[in-house]
Amino acid sequence: MIYIFTALHCEAHIFIKQYKLIKNQEHTWFQEFYNETAGIRLVIAGVGEIAAAAAVSSICSLYRPARDDLLLNVGICAHATKNDGIFLGSKIIESATGKPFYPDMLYRHNFCEGTIVTGMLPWNGENPAPSQELYDMEAAAVYQAGIHFFGPHQMLFLKIVSDNGTAKEVSRERVAHLMEQYQNCIFDYIGRLAAITQTSCFHKNELHQAQEKLVETFCTDLHCSKAMRDSMQQSIRYLALSGIDYVSVIRKMYDQKLLPCKDKREGKLRFEEFKRRLF
Amino acid sequence: MKNLKEDYFNPFFSHIYIEKQVWNHARTQRILAKFPSAEIIEINHYKDVFCRSRQSHPLQHRSQKLILAARQGTLLYEGAPVCQSFGSQYFYYVSCTMNCIFDCEYCYLKGMYPSANIVVFVNLEDIFAEVENVLETHPLYLCVSYDTDLLALEQIIGYVQEWCLFAAKHENLKIEIRTKCANKSFVQSAAPIPGVIYAFTLSPQAVIEAFEHHTPSLTERLSCAAKLIQSGCPVRLCFDPMIYMPDWRQHYQEMLDQVCHMVDLEKIVDVSVGTFRISQDYLKNMRRQEPDSAVIWFPFQREDGYCHYPNDLMEQMECFLTEQLAQKIPAEKIFRWKT
Repeated sequence: MIYIFTALHCEAHIFIKQYKLIKNQEHTWFQEFYNETAGIRLVIAGVGEIAAAAAVSSICSLYRPARDDLLLNVGICAHATKNDGIFLGSKIIESATGKPFYPDMLYRHNFCEGTIVTGMLPWNGENPAPSQELYDMEAAAVYQAGIHFFGPHQMLFLKIVSDNGTAKEVSRERVAHLMEQYQNCIFDYIGRLAAITQTSCFHKNELHQAQEKLVETFCTDLHCSKAMRDSMQQSIRYLALSGIDYVSVIRKMYDQKLLPCKDKREGKLRFEEFKRRLF
Repeated sequence: MKNLKEDYFNPFFSHIYIEKQVWNHARTQRILAKFPSAEIIEINHYKDVFCRSRQSHPLQHRSQKLILAARQGTLLYEGAPVCQSFGSQYFYYVSCTMNCIFDCEYCYLKGMYPSANIVVFVNLEDIFAEVENVLETHPLYLCVSYDTDLLALEQIIGYVQEWCLFAAKHENLKIEIRTKCANKSFVQSAAPIPGVIYAFTLSPQAVIEAFEHHTPSLTERLSCAAKLIQSGCPVRLCFDPMIYMPDWRQHYQEMLDQVCHMVDLEKIVDVSVGTFRISQDYLKNMRRQEPDSAVIWFPFQREDGYCHYPNDLMEQMECFLTEQLAQKIPAEKIFRWKT
């Protein structure tokens, strides 16, 4: 699942249209749109750090993102010198505290990279800073709230330049137009991200249901205590990951009438016997 | 066919993070010159990047980043209890680089560090100064490639060469450069220095293929060890950690046969033998990071905060190897790790 957070509806409309997102009517704290099949959940947080942090923590507490999910913060920003362009944030600075945050830059992309400075107010062109800096009002808050649920490798910050310090002159129509202007490269990027989440290397260790059932029966027939059961699960996990055929060893023990055991004491002996046969 | 997923990842060292204070350091500039296309990101302190919470070692290993920083505070550390001291009274190690370009599933670095990115401390001169201070009071056996594989990074940072030059000037300093690398260009030109021991970590090819990702083959490692011996360099062979796998006897026997075939064992400095053991806390971190790695999910025995193979298995594995080695090498040259 990719969680997209925007501040405004005019930043979100391209995603709603492209991915045919449906509005979630059950949760009314934030405007939320989703398409389970496309693996996208979009939230319109509102403008500013507090709104962004509140939305991220609320949505993530509700849905509990998995280890291969991603968070994408998309929105407009100001640039010290430029009037347009699209950037991926490689460094985020919270203006109020000066604290820096670094999303991992693991994946290939076709954007320029830049430092995002997040402030409480729109940047009005004062205090000119290094020419590569971008100014927004959410990224640092999204990162700080997001890090409770995502790793730095799971968070991405995509910013579209709308002005160079003249935020008041930026209309909703211009924002919508800018989003449309860059939508193809954004969708292409999301397509790649979706492919990454779908080909995740995690969860290989899960046992098949049939194996789990067999192990459960095995533990019961050994009269396993809690400690023995933990130890058994540890051994089974290792054996499964190593590709060692422990299932036939268990079956053979049943065939040889070594199982089920009559009590815990006999169970302990059989457990040792099981380990001897495999290690 | 190239793995499709590989295409999603940035190349290694696509991004270089540099502490402000080392921006103008000569080593920083020398390293940067090797990566003209890298994105450069200025940082205040290396820990701002290296110590972020919830980092993923497996994913970062697909696209490692380089962090250039200044080492501050403690520069020399006493050898850890799980490390072999080779009988040296003053056994220390330095950490001039953190993390490794190789991706060994069982490596303790994955449990010790919060990140898989590589930190290079460019103020090597401060470490040299600290070593010289200590050398005034007593001799030193110093491992310089413990928390990394310096030889594998040689083309980028050139620290092995710098350590060799430093060791050549100090008679009471002995350094160990531990590696799994097969850096042929370095080996071809390496001049023997009595105080520099090249220590090759060796594993059966089956272990290399299963768990030591991106490392050179056993044959390549042995070929480099043999070349260094031929040049008169002191060489140590480390059969440590020995890794359990089904048919371990057969795999370790085949490895020994190959070692005997390729290396003149009479000329090696010594060998170390020890089965895999690790701090319980590190193992916990590693298991969280790598839920699918068989080698770290072995049902280990816990003892005094450390995890190791069950005593009888540990005994069998270490005895097997030491007995085989004792047929070729004098017993005093075989160092078996003891708790």
